[in-house]
Parts: sequence; structure tokens; C-alpha cells
Amino acid sequence: MDEKELKNIAHLAKLNIDDTEVSSMLNDFSRIVQYVDEIKNLDTTSVGNDEIYEQIFYELRKDFAENSLKRDDLAKIAPSYENGYVVVPKVIET
Amino acid sequence: MKDLIFLTYSEIKTKLNDGSLKSADLVSAYIKRIEGTDSKVKAFLEFNKERILKQAEESDNRRKSGKLLSEFDGIPIGIKDNICITGEITSCSSKILENFRSPYDASVIQRLKDKGFVLFPRLNMDEFAMGSSTENSAYQTTRNPFDTSRIPGGSSGGSAAAVAASMLPVSLGSDTGGSIRQPAALCGIWGLKPTYGRVSRYGLIAYASSLDQIGPFSNDLQGISDLMEIISGLDHKDQTTAKVNPFEASSVSSVDWKGKRIGVMKSEEFNFSPDVNKRYTEILKTLESKGATLVPLDFSLLKYAIPVYYLIATAECSSNLSRFDGIRYGLRKEGAGKLEDLYSESRTAGFGPEVKRRILLGTFSLSSGYYDAYYGKAQKARVLIRKQYAEFFKTVDIIFQPTSPTTAFKVGEKTKDPIQMYQADILTTSVNLAGVPAISCPAGLDSNGLPIGLQITSSHFDETKLLSYAKSASELEICKLVLPTEIT
Repeated sequence: MDEKELKNIAHLAKLNIDDTEVSSMLNDFSRIVQYVDEIKNLDTTSVGNDEIYEQIFYELRKDFAENSLKRDDLAKIAPSYENGYVVVPKVIET
Repeated sequence: MKDLIFLTYSEIKTKLNDGSLKSADLVSAYIKRIEGTDSKVKAFLEFNKERILKQAEESDNRRKSGKLLSEFDGIPIGIKDNICITGEITSCSSKILENFRSPYDASVIQRLKDKGFVLFPRLNMDEFAMGSSTENSAYQTTRNPFDTSRIPGGSSGGSAAAVAASMLPVSLGSDTGGSIRQPAALCGIWGLKPTYGRVSRYGLIAYASSLDQIGPFSNDLQGISDLMEIISGLDHKDQTTAKVNPFEASSVSSVDWKGKRIGVMKSEEFNFSPDVNKRYTEILKTLESKGATLVPLDFSLLKYAIPVYYLIATAECSSNLSRFDGIRYGLRKEGAGKLEDLYSESRTAGFGPEVKRRILLGTFSLSSGYYDAYYGKAQKARVLIRKQYAEFFKTVDIIFQPTSPTTAFKVGEKTKDPIQMYQADILTTSVNLAGVPAISCPAGLDSNGLPIGLQITSSHFDETKLLSYAKSASELEICKLVLPTEIT
């Protein structure tokens, strides 16, 4: 893991890393990756991909409509609300 | 009469129902205790005594008019700050959700309200439940009531400390890698992580969805059983809840130890502190003296549990926490130009260092080029851990282990070293990976007067067996509640 790679991961995660944080974060991150690398020593060849998701008891939900949250209740907690709509910041990508 | 705040959950339930105690008097006593004590413990993030007292008075009025909601009507309960309650702030102890007021109740909250419980929101926690010490809250560090220079454990440290400091009889927390059992152990109370799928996660703000589970803390075992009966069961709002026989508190009964096969671990492999090791050895000797057979289990996979846990949990958290982008919830960094800047500036300002660290690790393990080597591999390793537990329960009835390899450490002692901090959960994470239930019981004090926890684990959906063994261990005085009366 180097600085470039760390910054790329941060970009994917939508997080900014300040230049003053890079070295300590790089150090922590490298140690954590080294630590989790231990699983490479475990032989998992006996496990098939189909075994990963345990589906023993789940039941599909019936397809029916029911009351959801009331618009007035949502209006009370929205940071900004006008004429029945939640207002979000204006974003125009060029 | 015993001071109201030192009543056990069972004593409270009995007294409320025989008419010798009013909920408003009890709640007033807790409010007074919190006002006098919480400046030292810092378990509560917010405290609206008028709203809480009103609920207690309403309960007393229902009792007076013969319209009780249940035998639990009027019992106070604390709620961790990641479980949604209508109209209340639910911040996950994070700046990014600082002003988020929930428009709905979590399913567990609805079930508690239906029974008439008096809800005490918001108990402090590690931000987004990420931590083992409750030092990662964006607001305050909760302290251990046994020694306020020490941590209470995490991430549900506020929920555990509130009960241990006699500020409440019971509370709810959430457990992703040990976040109920580890603080229960370090604070000397009971705390249960139910089988995955037993309790609805609807309204629990997600950390790692395949591992998270809501569960109870209590100052006695009856509180754990009763709360399990109330909060568990199928919920169509959470498709991962299981269609299995419901848990019934009345089904918990004492065990005859004779001939029972108890799975145990070799302490030298896991670096228990000398006091924890000594107490564990004593407990096992007591069980043997009652006729139980001790069966050493091969916990060799346990050394992989923390790496596997961190890879899976962080991958899920990087996905779950992507919804906190400055648009839909909480904190929004004003003045950002482009959309991407708005996302990243809001997230950078809103999340604390540990949350950022875990999001980065999760993003890394899910990214192209690393997915198979990390996330994919961890998923397969998880299957091996799950299979290992299934094998264990073919040969033993139950497993007895310490909950934590050490007692509570000092505030700040491990904050600089994430790996050391992660290892505080070495005995609890594999239980979440396997999805089985486990309870931490108070099992004595070390030479510094700090609590030691005993973890009992059973097979999937066998909470009845789990609690029956915990009850029997209490009858042998292996597990016994000793709480501090003065907090200094």
C-alpha cells in the first residue's frame, strides 16, 4: 500500500485524506492489511461458492401494499421542505 | 426498604405488579441517580426527563384504571443510540447524524411500546457501533462504573454502563462482533447476543447487516429472558428474521449437570490475563465437581476470526454507510461545488477516524483486484467457522469460555493501536460469524475489583438451552451480580 493507492481507495469511498493525515493513515492501514493477510494461510479450497450464503429460514415477503410513513411526519424532520417536496442542494454536473 | 435504584429487574417487575411500587416513583429515583452519577459515567448522550416521567405517569394511570398493557408496563429500559424511536434523535454517536430525528419506530421499539415499557433513549456508543471501548463516540467517552479511569467496553458501552451504575435495570444494545457481550463482561452484568435472525433489525441503523443483532442487557437473568421473549420473532419488515419456534421465557429451567458435555478452550492459546485464567479454571472445576464432563475443543480457527470479521464487517459497512452522503440525512457540508465534492466533504466532516478507517478497509477489500483475495476469501473462511461450530455442537451440549481475555483496560490505553483494540473481541467475533447465540454472565472480580465475564454459547435458535445453563451457573454461584454502589 502506498500513498497513491490509499488516495485512490479514499476517492472510491468518497472520503478526503488531508496531507497531514496520510502518513499515519498509511501506517495504520498497512498494519491492518498485514494483519488481515493472515487469512491467506487458511485453506478454503473445500468451500464452494454456493455455501457462502446460508439460506435456511428466510421467507419471502407477501406482495401487498401497506401504509408507509406519512408525508407530514417526514416534513417535520426534513432539513428543508417546500410545497410537499424535500429540498436537496442544487447539483448540476457539467 | 432497599433503595429503588438497587432493585433487580425481577424485583421491579414483582413490585410494580403487586402494587407496592409506582412506575413514576421508580423512574424519579433513576432520574435522580442519573443526575447525580452520569457526569462521571457519561452513559447518556441526551436525557429528557419530562418525556420519560410522562411515560411512567401514563403507565401508572393505566394500572390505576385496570388497563395495563402487560405485566411489563412501567418498567424502565435504556436504548442504544442506533435504534430508531419516533421523534427522537438517533445519531449512532456520529456527527453525520447529529440532527437526525427518526420518523418511525424500530420493530423492537414498537414491541416494547406495545408492552408499556418506559423508554430511556439515548445511550452512548462507539460511532456506528465500531469499537470495543466506547472511546470512538463523537461526543463523549463512557466510563466503567467499577473504575471510571477505565473503559466500559464497546460498542454498547453506554447501555452496559447505565445498568452497571444502577441508572437502569435493563437496556438494549447491538452486537456485531461482541458489542453486547464484551461490555456486559467488563461492566459485570448479563448481556445476550441472540441467534442471527431471532430479532428484527428493522430500525437498527446498520453497521454490518449479516452480523448485527439487537439484544438485551440486564441486572438479572430474568430480564434477559423476558426481553428476549418480547423483542424476538418473525417480522415482515426484516426478511432475515427467522420463521422458527418463538422463544418463551417460561421454557428456561435448571439443568442437571451430571453427564453434560461442556466444550472448553485451552487458555494458554489465547493469552488470558492471570486473573481471568484463574477464574475460568475455578469455574470449570466447579462444573466438573457437579458431574459435568469437560471437552476441550479445537479453537484453532479462532485466530482467523478477527481478520475474517474485519474484512466482512468493513465491506458491509462501506456499502451500508454509503447512504450518508450529505444529501439524504444529517450533516451537509455547505458550499461544496460539484456533487462528488458535496459527498466527500460531508462524509469527511461527518465521520470519525475509526469509521473512516473501516470504510477504507471495506472499500479496499471490495475493490477490483483485491476482492477474491480478501472479501471472497473471508466469506469462505466464514463458512469454515460456521461449520466448526456445527461440529462442536455434535459433540458438546454447550460451550463455556471467558468473554474477554482481560478485564477493563484504561481509557486511552489502546486507542493508538487499532490491532490491539480489535483483539479485545477475540473471544466474541466468531460467534457472530457463525450466527449462533451467546450470553455473557458476571463471573466474579479480578484482583483490582474489576468484573470478569463468562461467555456461554449454544447452537442456532437454542436460546432456551443457553439461558437454562446460565440460570444453573447462577444457582452454583459461578455467576453472580456484584455492582458498585458508589461511583468514583
